[in-house]
Amino acid sequence: MKERTITFAAYLLFFAVVFALPLALNSFWTNRIAVYLVYAICAVGISLSWGYAGILSLGQGLFFGIGAYMIAMSLTLAVPDNNPVPQFMLLNMEPNALRDLCCVTPGSFLWEPFRYLSIGILAGIVVPCVIAAALGYVMFKRRTSGVYVSIITLALALIGQMLIINNQPLTGGFNGLADLAPLSVGGVEFDPYGKSVYYLVAAVLLIVVLLSRLVVSTRLGHVLKAVREDDSRVRYLGYNVESYKLFIYCLSAAVAGVAGLLFAVTSEFASPSLMSTSFSISMVIWAALGGRGSLLGACVGALIVNFIGSVASENAALQPVWPIVLGLMFVLVVLVMPEGIAGIAKSWVAKPRQPRSLKEVTQ
Amino acid sequence: MNAIPNTFRSDMNLGTEPVLRTKDLTVKFDGFAAVNNVNLTVSRGELRVIIGANGAGKSTLLDLLCGKTLPTEGEVWLRDRNITGIGEAAIARSGVGRKFQTPSVFKEMTVLENLQVASNRRTGVFANLFSWRPPRPTEVEAEVASRTGLSGVLNRRASELSHGQLQWLELAMVLSQDPQIVLLDEPAAGMTAAETDKTAQLLLDLAGSHTVLVIEHDMAFVKRICRKITVMHQGAILAEGTASEIERNQAVVEAYLGSATLSHA
Repeated sequence: MKERTITFAAYLLFFAVVFALPLALNSFWTNRIAVYLVYAICAVGISLSWGYAGILSLGQGLFFGIGAYMIAMSLTLAVPDNNPVPQFMLLNMEPNALRDLCCVTPGSFLWEPFRYLSIGILAGIVVPCVIAAALGYVMFKRRTSGVYVSIITLALALIGQMLIINNQPLTGGFNGLADLAPLSVGGVEFDPYGKSVYYLVAAVLLIVVLLSRLVVSTRLGHVLKAVREDDSRVRYLGYNVESYKLFIYCLSAAVAGVAGLLFAVTSEFASPSLMSTSFSISMVIWAALGGRGSLLGACVGALIVNFIGSVASENAALQPVWPIVLGLMFVLVVLVMPEGIAGIAKSWVAKPRQPRSLKEVTQ
Repeated sequence: MNAIPNTFRSDMNLGTEPVLRTKDLTVKFDGFAAVNNVNLTVSRGELRVIIGANGAGKSTLLDLLCGKTLPTEGEVWLRDRNITGIGEAAIARSGVGRKFQTPSVFKEMTVLENLQVASNRRTGVFANLFSWRPPRPTEVEAEVASRTGLSGVLNRRASELSHGQLQWLELAMVLSQDPQIVLLDEPAAGMTAAETDKTAQLLLDLAGSHTVLVIEHDMAFVKRICRKITVMHQGAILAEGTASEIERNQAVVEAYLGSATLSHA
């Protein structure tokens, strides 16, 4: 009971700070912190699959990137200059092609549905989910686990990145999509440098954290905990372990997709670098530092690492050293404190429990 | 030598209704038959022990029964259902509970949580997504916990338990699955003498209400818990009978000549 109260207090404190922060920030930092909160959503996704089910995906960037691209397509078309076709397509079109989304460049018709923002948003969640389901089905059915899952997901993210770079007429290629309209829903315009986007991201983070918390506290979350410890034992208790892994993997892909959506809104671009290996690994580092077994810990990890990283990148002496420091911190965390910051916090709070009686010891 | 009454249970109490049957069960690894043509029938309420030297194929036989290993030939039937090759989870759901030799429990979870994962008979993802873990043990969970002497430690983490308690916890988990047959791989392995006594008593309690198949090589333990023994040798069944019949069986004695297994009995 006491532990639960403390956990609740920790969540309350975190979100109180998150929601109060913009009052003290200028527009630049409001935007930066909003991006970090987006990263925190990503870290929650990692924590769900890795922390709660032992599936270490090194390809979350793929889902994040897809989420970003899906809404970026809608927001690209929302710029008046980009009607009827985005500018980059004009640069890539055949000389006598029709200037319409149907056929300006090969495959450009795929953009057609993204005229509707709602489809862009929906696709940013559904597409990652479907890809994760297909990949997960193949992987888990074959009982792929551990480092092999990491390698396969990493490879898939690289494939995604290559596909985007190599299909410039369709995707904007290496440049990505950078000419975006601000998000506007029901007449309300979200300004990336104002409080509106910040609160949008913060509210989504709150919802994602609460829903995730809800999921892991059901019986399903319980079975997943068992799966993380010993998946074959769970099988002999009658559970189809594959379905459980598939579920949590899809959920974490959807969460990464949501984060991607918000990233495009907050940062006003989507680019293939979002699917890079280093970015996917960064996400894992945030979750590991914060504590992968704790949703809140993962959030805090993402915020701290990115905040320090941002401060370091403004200092000429620190900038080249920061990636090395980050790498060393990761190694240190893995070796010395596998529960991360959340683990340290927990051990401060929890006193070692004494057995109630001698009988309990000898029983 | 021990305080446990080796009460005689007449064969009349043992049903004749077969719960588990194997038909010509064979598994070959690179041509070597680890289990060779085994036809085994275990009846309802029976407490059957399989003995045999290391490498005789005992554990492999259990692996075949619970689906961990696929047979090269032959079938496994649970009552009137062919459970060969339907997958570990489906075999477990159809009523085969297995306890492994080294205690396989979830150490990061409490004793009660372990039992709850095991006793939950709704195994689908979405059934569990929309249900909560009750804070208190159900009747079944409370019963198996008291049977295995774990009632007092329900809220302890499994990692804090002794080796013997871990073995009992896994046994309790298997029992809470309410299986048709319980497969136990050396349930007293690594236990102290007192713990072994308790385990023997536990198994005697189970017989009758449960159908139990035990693998064991400690002959003193075997003689205390069972009426009927199956002897395996080089993957095949060598003999079947009561302890005294087995000890008098010439083939068994020859197969074990020089082996300490029977001479210590």
